[in-house]
Amino acid sequence: MTPAKEEINADDVAPGVMEAADHSIRDGIQGYLIGLALAIMLTVASFYIVHTPLIWGPGIPVALVVLAIAQIGVHLVFFLHITTAPDNTNNVLALAFGVLIVALVIGGSLWIMSHLNQNMLPMDQMTRMQR
Amino acid sequence: MHLLGKLSWNAIPWDQPIPLVAGAVVFVALFAVVAWTILKGHLPYLWREWITSVDHKRIGVMYTLLALVMLVRGFVDAIMMRSQQAIAFRAPGYLPPEHYNQIFSAHGTIMIFFAAMPLMIGLMNFVVPLQLGVRDVAFPTLNATSFWLTATGALLVNISLVVGEFDPAGWLPYPPLSELRYSPGVGVDYYLWALLISGVGTLMTGINFVTTILKIRAPGMSYLRMTIFCWTALAANLMIVAAFPVLTATLAMLTLDRYLGFHFFTNAAGGNMMMFINLIWAWGHPEVYILALPSFGVFSEVISTFSGKPLFGYRSMVAATMFICLVSFTVWLHHFFTMGAGADVNGIFGIATSIIAVGTGVKIYNWLFTMYGGRIRFATPMLWAMGFLVTFTIGGMTGVLLAVPPADFQLHNSLFLVAHFHNVLISGVLFAGFAGITYWFPKAFGFRLHEGWGKAAFWFSLIGFYVTFMPLYVAGLLGMTRRLQHYEVAAWHPWMLVAAFGIVIMTCALACQVTQIVVSIRRRDELRDETGDPWDGRSLEWATASPPPAFNFAVLPDVRGEEPYQAIKRRAIETQQLSSEAQYEPIELPRNSPTGFIAAFFSTITGFALIWHIWWMVGLGLAAAYAVFVWFAWRDVEEYEIPADAVARADRDRRRARAEWLDHHERAGEPA
Ligand code: HEM
Ligand SMILES: [Cu+2]
Repeated sequence: MTPAKEEINADDVAPGVMEAADHSIRDGIQGYLIGLALAIMLTVASFYIVHTPLIWGPGIPVALVVLAIAQIGVHLVFFLHITTAPDNTNNVLALAFGVLIVALVIGGSLWIMSHLNQNMLPMDQMTRMQR
Repeated sequence: MHLLGKLSWNAIPWDQPIPLVAGAVVFVALFAVVAWTILKGHLPYLWREWITSVDHKRIGVMYTLLALVMLVRGFVDAIMMRSQQAIAFRAPGYLPPEHYNQIFSAHGTIMIFFAAMPLMIGLMNFVVPLQLGVRDVAFPTLNATSFWLTATGALLVNISLVVGEFDPAGWLPYPPLSELRYSPGVGVDYYLWALLISGVGTLMTGINFVTTILKIRAPGMSYLRMTIFCWTALAANLMIVAAFPVLTATLAMLTLDRYLGFHFFTNAAGGNMMMFINLIWAWGHPEVYILALPSFGVFSEVISTFSGKPLFGYRSMVAATMFICLVSFTVWLHHFFTMGAGADVNGIFGIATSIIAVGTGVKIYNWLFTMYGGRIRFATPMLWAMGFLVTFTIGGMTGVLLAVPPADFQLHNSLFLVAHFHNVLISGVLFAGFAGITYWFPKAFGFRLHEGWGKAAFWFSLIGFYVTFMPLYVAGLLGMTRRLQHYEVAAWHPWMLVAAFGIVIMTCALACQVTQIVVSIRRRDELRDETGDPWDGRSLEWATASPPPAFNFAVLPDVRGEEPYQAIKRRAIETQQLSSEAQYEPIELPRNSPTGFIAAFFSTITGFALIWHIWWMVGLGLAAAYAVFVWFAWRDVEEYEIPADAVARADRDRRRARAEWLDHHERAGEPA
């Protein structure tokens, strides 16, 4: 069911609903174009730095992570319209919840998996015992 | 390549009488029901009013019905396992090992995914929009699709009874046993595709309900005026959205291993089977709270209503709910303390696990204080709630015991563990389901369930639970591991006999439940709920008629505080009149749609074809299922209108009943 406007609490409207009301289509398209440009720049940059001496070799993974996070930010702001406005509280909270859970599951898994052989003998002792 | 893939006449277990006869009975019964509906001419009605319905109330009822049917199926598995262990002491029993393996796997799978989940989701479907004071969920057709995809999963599991075999590797099929090399049959594939398909349905339910609760509420229904059931539904659905993709991804990886020779969880080629166990429990522990939280919600409603008091500590209840929602994502390692992690990892996850119990403890005290000083009515739902309070506390405490890693090294995968999780699941999910069904049944159907048979069912269930599962704690402490097809240790045997007797008591409970429904339907005129408020309820679902009209509320309620319906009643009694009649307007409702049913029909075909490697049929099924969505997306008319005078007529009927109630109330001179 699409509820009538007045059924919805005024302070939590889907993102984009308000924007459609007070912005022109041109502004909207402009936002997407800026986002697209930024996203392309970040993508090109990440391919570029892998092959240049611009960054110290071992630093490259770090640079890639930074660029990836920036990319996420660009998508959130320009394409998914996450803002700090009050009408966006739900979305920001949902995002925070998602990030938290992903961090817990991935971080936890890495930690757990790296510890799973703790109770095993180190390999050299094992081979010594087999002898 | 064979036209029918791996499928042949040999897939039907001609030489095994038990599944064959059981399957035959089920299918004859199913066939009889279908034939009866067609012959009696009920099919058009069923199609119009139920199968294509997108009404959250109808979908809720269908979920609940599916859950109850699957509950019986799972219960039959339980009877078989308990009787096998009762006689398989120094004897082979009557179930051969490969059959016993399938039974315990099917039991767990069916109970968790196709009984407990639909039970809770069914109650949420029926109740949440009513309690929020709105007309439907955010995406009604998606909701119907969710239901039918769940039914697809249940159907696939039951087909495996007669065509092929079911998963022999446990309800969470750990590799390497579940890999193709050690389980070459189709059993694990039945499991995988049933859960992959129904998992999509569950995820869509999660999205649907999060959206509904966050976005669609009656005017004035701020977050802190929602009932606790809505809060727990919100938390559970947030957890579904976060956790079910993990399950789907994990099972998809196992599927890739089995179908395309991947090596995610194999021992060879860099795979790691422990990753499966890690990931499946990253879903699995949240899952137990996805089941437990809505049940806490049911009990909060029941205890407050039947104590005649607002819930004690409403805000702490909300806080505890959201606390559990988050913390349950930090404890999953307690399911595999013994897998090799060091003391620091085990220690931290052990502590986190014990901390969860704090959230639950807060709730237990809140329920106790709600009852304290209240005028308690010992109706059937309240009995289930009180049985839950005591029983769940015991289960929680054995859980905390298992959360201590050194203790868990002794008790892991013993019958002590089995007793623990049945202790929390039976009291926390089944009792809640029965409490909820008894409580909201009059709202759904317009008449109450028979109290006497309900109470009998409660007492048999409660006693049956203790007699069945307390012996399992003892046997576990005596070292008996789970899933034994036969055993040689004399000390365990008496406990297995007691547990088998417990199942007999549970069977009496089942008989009482069935009788209760039959008796209630036959005596529905005496049990009629005229006012729509049979229990002196406090939240908005009781403000509308029983059963509610398709549009739920003629005029959306205007919420001015917590317990909105209680406030409306108090105002009516004080002023000795109902609030003045509103201006009725036409109401738009979503049109029924067979999308969900047809999509699920083709998903069933796709799933079946994938299990048996019938590739042309896979293509056909997928294409058809996709075509349904396209067809739905292109529909022209989405809604139909109920004219204002029809709304007015329905609402005046309701007001007439209320006015009578008010007259009655005046004469009786009772305080509100
Ligand atoms: C009071 C809080 C709880 C604590 C501290 C707790 C603790 C634990 C621990 C430590 C285990 C693992 C034991 C082992 O495998 O050796 C476990 C297993 C389990 N628990 Fe709980 N639990 C709690 C509540 C619940 C609830 C509320 C449910 C369900 C509604 C539940 C369902 C299960 C299930 C299904 C398993 C094991 C499944 C399997 O291995 O097949 N628990 N619990
Ligand atoms: Cu757990």
